[in-house]
Amino acid sequence: MSLVILLLLVGIVAFVIITYNRLIAQIEAVRNNAKQIDIQLDRRFKVFESLINVVKKYMDYEQTTLKDVVGLRSQAVTAHASGNEPARIEAENKISKIAGGLNIMFEQYPDLKANQNCMQLQEEIVSTENKLAFSKQSYNDSIEIYNANKKSFPANFIVSGFKAKLDIDFPYWQLSTAQVAEQESYTVKL
Amino acid sequence: MTNHLNDFSSGSVNWRKTLHQNNRRTIMIILLFFTIYCSLGLLVDTYIVSERYPDAPLSTILHALVTLQVFPLATTVMVVIAAISLFITYAFADQLMLLGTDYHEINPATAQTPAEKRLYNVVEEMQIAAGLRYMPKVYIINADYMNAFASGFSERSAMIAITRGLMDKLDRDELQAVMAHELSHIRHMDIKLTLTATLLANLTVIVLDILFRSTIYSHRSGGNRSRNNLTVIILVLRFLLPIINIALLLYLSRTRELMADAGSVELTRSNEPLARALIKISDDHSQHQDTYREAYQKTAHESVRREAYIFDPMEAGIKNISSFNDMFSTHPSLEKRLEALGYKRKS
Repeated sequence: MSLVILLLLVGIVAFVIITYNRLIAQIEAVRNNAKQIDIQLDRRFKVFESLINVVKKYMDYEQTTLKDVVGLRSQAVTAHASGNEPARIEAENKISKIAGGLNIMFEQYPDLKANQNCMQLQEEIVSTENKLAFSKQSYNDSIEIYNANKKSFPANFIVSGFKAKLDIDFPYWQLSTAQVAEQESYTVKL
Repeated sequence: MTNHLNDFSSGSVNWRKTLHQNNRRTIMIILLFFTIYCSLGLLVDTYIVSERYPDAPLSTILHALVTLQVFPLATTVMVVIAAISLFITYAFADQLMLLGTDYHEINPATAQTPAEKRLYNVVEEMQIAAGLRYMPKVYIINADYMNAFASGFSERSAMIAITRGLMDKLDRDELQAVMAHELSHIRHMDIKLTLTATLLANLTVIVLDILFRSTIYSHRSGGNRSRNNLTVIILVLRFLLPIINIALLLYLSRTRELMADAGSVELTRSNEPLARALIKISDDHSQHQDTYREAYQKTAHESVRREAYIFDPMEAGIKNISSFNDMFSTHPSLEKRLEALGYKRKS
């Protein structure tokens, strides 16, 4: 009889340890993925910098557009430094919008289009925006896994036992309702 | 026969469900393989013990072995052998997959053409989406046919190889879907899994063969009834088990293929590009059947890659490739894969 109780206890302890460790690993995965978004934002800015250098020779008008990017980026950096996340996300989203239009702009400059560097940069812009989008997706996916695990039975008992360590509320990466409405009604004007 | 995406009605796919379902199937199959292997060990033990106790009925011997009254030595030895051979395979089989092909590695520094650069970017994007910690090595195989495969036993040693034909003929979205499929194989550790299953299957056949030979050459002890019963069992198993093994391995391989397709949808959040790519690859194979057959034929050791390819050349009727020696398909049919992706053929 006592053996059964002992085995039961060992089983419970093992379960607690495994669940605890799994949740910790998932929390760290979420944090790492959040940092991945920062890395991609940073990378995007660097790609744009080299883009500006190439384009400078060919177009004057767009240079101002690209200057906007630099301005928005510094806004985002200061907002991030002061902990103002919504302002930062807004600035970064504005850059995304400009990036989306860049490839269309290229079409209007035959010289530029023929430039080998520029063709490579076009691919870079697409890839950069994709990487950013996928890092956000990956961040949200890891939150999904963590939340589902945290809230499931019987793991939720263990979470309530170690609330400070295991119960962390990560917000999903998303657009504000106003932005969603704006994007929803957006159409391309040709 | 060529297909077009328009011939199919499109729908959505619940990739979470597909992943879950196929994962459960895999666990069942692997457990089954282990059970078969251990049961075979017990059979060997029973065979050995029945020599010592000619009068004991089979059920008594088996009971004694399971309850450890008699130590199941053969089972233990067999499990140890399996563990060692698995370890050795994991350690050395990494480079096996590129055997016989003309290939070169690409990375940001060595990517020469825009197409190569694009390919590397696409893989990098998918690596981010999958949340893999290491960037897999990317190889290009110099061949015209469209195919790709992934290999590696851990995230760190993972690799993806794709043919030049695939890289040049797919558009960016399709390439992304195919790379997502390959990365899913890495993420799901399919290479390790298939290898483990194949190894266990081969070991069971070897052990059974040894057992079979020893029953034939041992002198008949007419009075030993347990022994005679065992001989019948071994005889039946020797012909049945290889067939069961092949069926299980093929089922496993198809299950993992469907899972990688679902994983591709999970990473790209779209089912259309993969469906388009699969149709394109299949059509391309049937259009260039003769030249591709020659190309596959010319590359040595094509059979090591067959299971890993995203598209089984035999699907398109490219048969008689000398190194493909069985007549069963390792992949679900194009129709089945498209259906799992939410595309049903319009009738």
